Amino acid sequence: MSTLSAVYGIVARDLTRTTRQTSRLLGGVARPFMWLLLVGTGYNAIARLEGNLSYQAFVYPGIIVMAALFGAMLTAISTVYDREFGMLRLMLASPAGAPAVLAGRALAAALVGFLQGGIVLACAPLVVAVEPRNLMAAAGALSLACLSSSVLGLLVAVRLRSVENFAGVINVVLFPLLFASGALYPTRGMPHLLRLLAQANPVTYQVDLMRHAFGQPAEFSMQLDVLVLVLVTFVVFGFASLLFDTEQRFISRRTAAS
Amino acid sequence: MSGLPPAIEAERLGRDYGDTRALDALDLVVPQGAVFGLLGPNGAGKTTSMLLLATLLAPTRGVARIFGQDVTRERQAVRRKLGLVFQDNTVDGLLTVSENLLFAARLAGLGGRAARDAVARGIEWAGLGDRAGTPARQLSGGWRRIVDLVRALLHQPDLLILDEPTVGLDPEHRERVWSLLESRRRDHGTTILFSTHYLAEAEPADRVVLLSTGRVVASDSPAALKATIGVEVAEIEGPGAERLAKALCGLGAAQTTGRTERAFRVGLSGERDAVIELAGSAPGIVRFALRPATLEDVYFARTQPAGH
Repeated sequence: MSTLSAVYGIVARDLTRTTRQTSRLLGGVARPFMWLLLVGTGYNAIARLEGNLSYQAFVYPGIIVMAALFGAMLTAISTVYDREFGMLRLMLASPAGAPAVLAGRALAAALVGFLQGGIVLACAPLVVAVEPRNLMAAAGALSLACLSSSVLGLLVAVRLRSVENFAGVINVVLFPLLFASGALYPTRGMPHLLRLLAQANPVTYQVDLMRHAFGQPAEFSMQLDVLVLVLVTFVVFGFASLLFDTEQRFISRRTAAS
Repeated sequence: MSGLPPAIEAERLGRDYGDTRALDALDLVVPQGAVFGLLGPNGAGKTTSMLLLATLLAPTRGVARIFGQDVTRERQAVRRKLGLVFQDNTVDGLLTVSENLLFAARLAGLGGRAARDAVARGIEWAGLGDRAGTPARQLSGGWRRIVDLVRALLHQPDLLILDEPTVGLDPEHRERVWSLLESRRRDHGTTILFSTHYLAEAEPADRVVLLSTGRVVASDSPAALKATIGVEVAEIEGPGAERLAKALCGLGAAQTTGRTERAFRVGLSGERDAVIELAGSAPGIVRFALRPATLEDVYFARTQPAGH
């Protein structure tokens, strides 16, 4: 009961914070639409895609994943801010302890990702031809994408010590995950090494599952996509829990000296 | 009363950070319902002691029990009995006061109505009613500290550990914090362990533990500790201060002598008139003052390196 209350408390706090940071929320939703409108319009003229898809139709599953990926991962990584401003200590001192803190953070990040990705998904009928069943399936794919993205964010956060590294993380972690995933261009045309990298990238399976949901040609089977994402979620969460050094949150240079 | 386990019991409790010995060996027994002050200079091991007792750091050596429960093996049970106020604020500026408290209540394991009731009680107790809906970032540092205190007490802990609870507060908010703590102890019998740099704040404590370089150097009631210094303390400044201090020792009136950056401090017992007469005729004295011994005198006497 106390663990559930703690997890619920962490999730409720994060969602409240998200709704108060409207510029961040709007920025998260605007990013995929900017790609769709500014880049997508240009690419429409030159891209030749399997199944006579327009580039905008092709990229739509990818930009839903993009919105979810940025929303979930950045929220999870913001655990670093909580460490810097003392809130993480408060959470870790609760009777529920570190596992509840990590579960709460992961769940909250997944929900923020779902909110951002969900807004882009809700706009899908305006851009691509989709049936209600596609949207339902896409919501399921989005849930898995958000959960796996949030634990990836958590993994980054457990070892990140300072908010100063935050911008670097976006460049070094988020962009490579997105660009090597098939979200913005098919992985089939990639050079061999890059394609291998894409196959090792969990985001590739998020995008692939989303393509299945939209009824678009996909690279892997739906079962494989689901299996990989479920495995990634549990394995990465376990790994993040192992790496999470609760004491490090209390041993600042100042603490060590007082 | 004797059958009750102490609120805090530490035996040879210590912690190293790599090669640094932050806390050497803390021996401490705090009876239930007592108010204990942990004093010492920066680097003495106060924060480390508190984090160890609060189950947030694992000890390198020794043991500690909170109400008879081991801080290492029974962390979860210990945490339910603990309220913690950290040196730094733990208030989320984006949330309102009520939302911050509700978050803390849920973290403490209170769900649904129990959490909301605890928040309402806490707000009323601390006089936060007018500020309940205010975003925390709009609060002054003093009010944030009050929110922190309410937050630590929402789950009705039996032991409250406060690390520098009044640091950076104006006198009005310092007074408010201590008044709330006093009422908490009076009405609920909550045991309180606190650290502070404002030594006068430790005067009302039942007992004071003085730490220096990771070791306990004194532990007693404030009155008993002050008695070790002397009945009164002579503060002497000026080029002739050292000579006068030695003369007072020769007179047999000095119980202790110490030196700060600015002055010599001589703890005196009896022979007041002779001391005043001697000081009046001593050359090179810029300031001579007699006053009652304070915890600050104890602090300087016990924490300054020998020969200082």
